[in-house]
Amino acid sequence: MSPRGRFLLATLAGLVLAGLVHGVVVLLIPRLSEADALSRARSSEALDHPMPVNTVSAGDAAGQTSGQAPGQAAGQAPGRAETWLPIPDPSVAVGLCAYDLADGPMRVSARTGPLMMSLAVHGRRGAFYAVTDQAAVRGALDLVVLTRAQYDEALANADEDEVSHDVRIVAPETRGYVVVRVIAALPSQRPAADAAVQAVSCTVDSPAEDSKPGG
Amino acid sequence: MRMTFADTVARLRPARPSFSEPRSGLGDADAPRPGPGRRAADLLRNGVRRASTVTLVVYALALGAGLGLVTADYATRGGYPFGGVRVGAWTAWPRVGSLGADPYARAVNARRGEIPLTIGEGMLLTADQDDSGRAIEAACTYAVAGVTPPARAWTLTVAGRGAREPGPIPMREGFTATEILRETDGRFVITLSPEVQPGNWLPMPRARGPVRLALRLYDTPVAASAGNLDRSAVPAITRGACAA
Repeated sequence: MSPRGRFLLATLAGLVLAGLVHGVVVLLIPRLSEADALSRARSSEALDHPMPVNTVSAGDAAGQTSGQAPGQAAGQAPGRAETWLPIPDPSVAVGLCAYDLADGPMRVSARTGPLMMSLAVHGRRGAFYAVTDQAAVRGALDLVVLTRAQYDEALANADEDEVSHDVRIVAPETRGYVVVRVIAALPSQRPAADAAVQAVSCTVDSPAEDSKPGG
Repeated sequence: MRMTFADTVARLRPARPSFSEPRSGLGDADAPRPGPGRRAADLLRNGVRRASTVTLVVYALALGAGLGLVTADYATRGGYPFGGVRVGAWTAWPRVGSLGADPYARAVNARRGEIPLTIGEGMLLTADQDDSGRAIEAACTYAVAGVTPPARAWTLTVAGRGAREPGPIPMREGFTATEILRETDGRFVITLSPEVQPGNWLPMPRARGPVRLALRLYDTPVAASAGNLDRSAVPAITRGACAA
């Protein structure tokens, strides 16, 4: 083969390889990233409550000194800068609960209030369930995220006479996170929005607790 | 001695010059004497075939790895490359948070740590151009006027493009649907301006440079059918006076 042909062949091989590398890298980024929401949520120290991702109120110190003017004080809030979201919504409080279904089903309990709230369940590939406070039954919203095996087990153990208000969601993967969003329509509602995010509980449903009320 | 020299040349030089030189030799065809290109070809032919194969393989691997990494980085840096639905000056991103998101959107979300809105929660619309297609500049005044698609709540947020600049966070970064002052027919006008304005004044987040608007609709039925949104259903962005 002529040198020119060899060089063209090498360039062609390089371009094909570039395409392969491009595709593999793009597909691997979500898995390898340490800056994504799931990795950060898993490093959270907060037990049983969402990790605050985007807090909208001015923080305790500013709230105490400036009284009822959190909207004005928000500009100097030290807590605001912590968020990693690229363009955070300044009037929506966001919290994250990471789950690992290998530990057991995850129960997310929220009490709805005057503020609009939404819950979304994300896996590694994207969100597969979302619900807002309009779906709440008597002011309570209970989601149980479980694997297919845990779902079958829960169905088998369910007491037929007992009406359950739990929303059972089968997750495609064992790991993921639940996003809690509370919208503060007015600046004066921002502390309440942060409190509403913190009031949500994310607990692991242990099988022992499950069998007690049933039997 | 000659062999080792050719060997070194073939090892040190990338394959590109050994190719371009014969072509330059062909270029000055009026001079038939053996040019440097012909000599290089001779050298290539003279027993450096093995070394040049190694060079070519290294070249192909370097090209593939370099080009692949650079394009992957470019495609997943900043905003989402695909999946947007144009509605007037706005671009709706209905699928970036769902299971049907394309791999690029997933990679962008992972790199930025973004938690996208899903279809059941709401929808994000972004705008970095006004209605006439010009980029939104921090030095100009804009009127964001009209109505929004039906939603339980919406927020309009302004931010500089690129990384957030250090310094104090501006006093107001956005409006919610409840805060806004409306006309009697329910329409609204938000004035995005570096100067203080009457009515719904949204200050520019920085002194100069490009700016982007984000309209988030929460709990909206249009998220599932963003393609059917009409231009008149989203606020129009019209440019006013520009400072210098």
